Amino acid sequence: MDPATLIAPSSPLGYPAPYWFLVLFKVLGFVLHSVPMNLWYAGIIIALLLRAFRNENGRIFSDRLMKQMPIIIALGVNLGIVPLLFVQVAYYKAFYPATILMAWPWLAIIALLTVAYYGVYAYTSSLKGIAFKDSRWPLWAGWISAIFFVIIGFLFVNGFSLMANLSAWPEIWKNTSVAGAPLGTALNTDDNSLWPRWLMMFGLAIMTTAAYSFFDCAFLADKESLAYKRWINGFAFKLYTIGMLWFALFGLWYSIGTWSNQAKQVMFATPTIILTAATALSPGLIWLVLLSRFHKERDSKPAALFIAICQFLVLGLNGISRQIVQNADIGIYFDVTTEQVNIQWSPMILFLLLFVAGLFTIIWLLNKAIVEARKSTA
Amino acid sequence: MHYPWWYVPFLTSPMLIAIVSVLHIVVSHYAVGGGMFLAFETRFAYKSGNNNYLDYLHRHAWFFILVTVVYGAITGVGIWWTIGLASPLATETLIHTFVFAWAMEYVFFILEIVSAFVFFYFWGKLTEKTHLLAANIYAFSAWMSLFIITGITAYMLNPGAIPSDQSMWAGFFNPQLIPQVLARTGGAFLLTSLYVFLHASFKVKDKDLRNLIEKRSAKPALWGAIFVTLGGIGWYLMLPESAKAALAAASVLNVLMVLIFALTAAVFALMYFGPYKNPGWLSPGFAILFFICGFAAISTGEYVREAVRKPYIIYNDVLGNQIRAREIPGLIKIGYLEGGRWTYAWMKSNYPQVFTGENIDEKLLFELPEPDQLQIGAVLFQYHCNDCHALREGYSPVGHMIRGWTREMIKSTVMHPEKAAFFMPPFAGTPEEAEILTEFLEKLAPAHPAGMYYGKQQ
Repeated sequence: MDPATLIAPSSPLGYPAPYWFLVLFKVLGFVLHSVPMNLWYAGIIIALLLRAFRNENGRIFSDRLMKQMPIIIALGVNLGIVPLLFVQVAYYKAFYPATILMAWPWLAIIALLTVAYYGVYAYTSSLKGIAFKDSRWPLWAGWISAIFFVIIGFLFVNGFSLMANLSAWPEIWKNTSVAGAPLGTALNTDDNSLWPRWLMMFGLAIMTTAAYSFFDCAFLADKESLAYKRWINGFAFKLYTIGMLWFALFGLWYSIGTWSNQAKQVMFATPTIILTAATALSPGLIWLVLLSRFHKERDSKPAALFIAICQFLVLGLNGISRQIVQNADIGIYFDVTTEQVNIQWSPMILFLLLFVAGLFTIIWLLNKAIVEARKSTA
Repeated sequence: MHYPWWYVPFLTSPMLIAIVSVLHIVVSHYAVGGGMFLAFETRFAYKSGNNNYLDYLHRHAWFFILVTVVYGAITGVGIWWTIGLASPLATETLIHTFVFAWAMEYVFFILEIVSAFVFFYFWGKLTEKTHLLAANIYAFSAWMSLFIITGITAYMLNPGAIPSDQSMWAGFFNPQLIPQVLARTGGAFLLTSLYVFLHASFKVKDKDLRNLIEKRSAKPALWGAIFVTLGGIGWYLMLPESAKAALAAASVLNVLMVLIFALTAAVFALMYFGPYKNPGWLSPGFAILFFICGFAAISTGEYVREAVRKPYIIYNDVLGNQIRAREIPGLIKIGYLEGGRWTYAWMKSNYPQVFTGENIDEKLLFELPEPDQLQIGAVLFQYHCNDCHALREGYSPVGHMIRGWTREMIKSTVMHPEKAAFFMPPFAGTPEEAEILTEFLEKLAPAHPAGMYYGKQQ
């Protein structure tokens, strides 16, 4: 069966904005979502391991990260709406069939996320002494959350890799349907790219957690001891090194070992090869900065800000590269860039104005709250 | 037909949308009304210098965040998940029409989250002015998200000027918008009071404080009941003719409509004569009873709102079985099996012998062995009927509906379902396909129940 025959016809409504606008917000939204998502994906496991190792400074970072985790998750879940929105506008022909073929695992994300999120709240409530004092089950709740978030990551990678793996649809459909209607029980586990992609994402998440530990210490941990700040310099470097090696290992497997010929042709051709190289090598810059801070006694705000911006760029480069790979794979069957466009000018302008106004309101409100809170505790 | 149809035995996949929606709506209304309640009552507590009440509001804000920011937000995403899975064509249409409305809603979501956290986590560390500002930003953002999403869901029932004017605004400012916004705002007020009662009945031991909470929460609930009633009347007046007809024709909808108004009236009376006029009623049992009434009213309201839209998901545009209304004439001409992407691929893969070139020769279907014809009938059933009907058992099972029917009765209904019941979509296939589907259904139909006496020997 030719998978091309399974592609839905184009929407008569057309794209409501040019393709570049849709993909810009899809990638930007994904990168913004990636920051908090990385922190819960690897951060919770790291925090729980640090607690288990009984290192005093490790315990401080673990508690700091986990106390922030409910806010991180809330922001991450909401920031995740943007890429989800724009992927459905521009990639609907691939997104809906792929997710329907694996409907039950896809839907399970909602249940897993609910349990994982409440698990984090149970853990932090215990840390803050609000509830579950002297009980061990918040620790179990923390581990359940950590495991569930890893499973959620696995399911997401399944969904988005199946979206670009159209050649697998006919077989999956044939094996998991009743009278031509999918039962929605499939996973994309036969796809070679699934495992390295999932593991590579975990490497990125370790790096983001390491970068965040450094940023948190410089900007949000005024009250912590000098010993803690010295410890974080070393910890961030070591953790980033592990993450970077992990990322390099599985990234190589993913790109060299599993990319389609179309993806390789695009990613290794000039000028895209510059992007490919930048995506692969960019973590090295952060690693060098962290290395330079390794034996330093104190935190450094400029270095922390630089690292945060660079890590955001690392995530951004990954997002852009994977978008190009996705387009190359999907492009075998249809071209997402050639859809009819009927620009909704006034809704688009209003959205952009609201977006900017909303951003300013958030910055202004947070700034006001932090300044007043500092005054009140001074 | 443009997309694969997700088969959920017993329930049917669209019922999953209903389940997730009800689970979400019961909290999302509280997310809106609760924000207004906290903003308004925190101002009152500051002004009156009532630290006891302020302390309660702080505790309530924690409960509010645990319920709305976690459960409410995730089930909201859950609705996205399920509509994309169970109703992909309608979702595709909605998202291409309203992507910027959703994007605006997202901006308000982020504002909600940030202001809610500032309001709660900075409690006691901010000036009264800034603290109230955070609460007001939350309340405004939450109501705006209600306003935007209601514009989209109201459009599905009455798309206003959209058929002639394809701009987003033409669809958004539809005749159902104001009535539904009014009803939902009222629902948010009403449900919030029930949540406050529930929380306070378990958490507040001080009788004076409990009475104060009871009295102050009763007032928005009373206004809420009035808004729900006025919105409900407006909703009815602005219904398309087919929806009014569906409401009049279906006895279950009649009963549910009466139930909604009876429950709203009962809550109003209990609220007025109880907490509002004679505070001191609040106990966990009373609060739970109230909450159940509110939950029942809002979920039946949602059921009725969805049910009257049949046979459409988006009125006059996308039908319940994932077909665009404008595609029906073409499908009747070439056949549903050929017109649907996934049915076509399935036929090509399983029965290449019925193809002449790239087209299905419908006459050749009858040359297939009977089991194969039945299998094709099953495919037609899945893609054309399963959105509203389970097979033998479950939600609205077709087997029980055609129990004891003759072949002629089945065929007549298959050929013209919209004539048998105007809230069914028309059959979008050829007479040959109708015959194949009839054959499948005939084999499925159980016999007329035995032992029924009609005054003579059967």
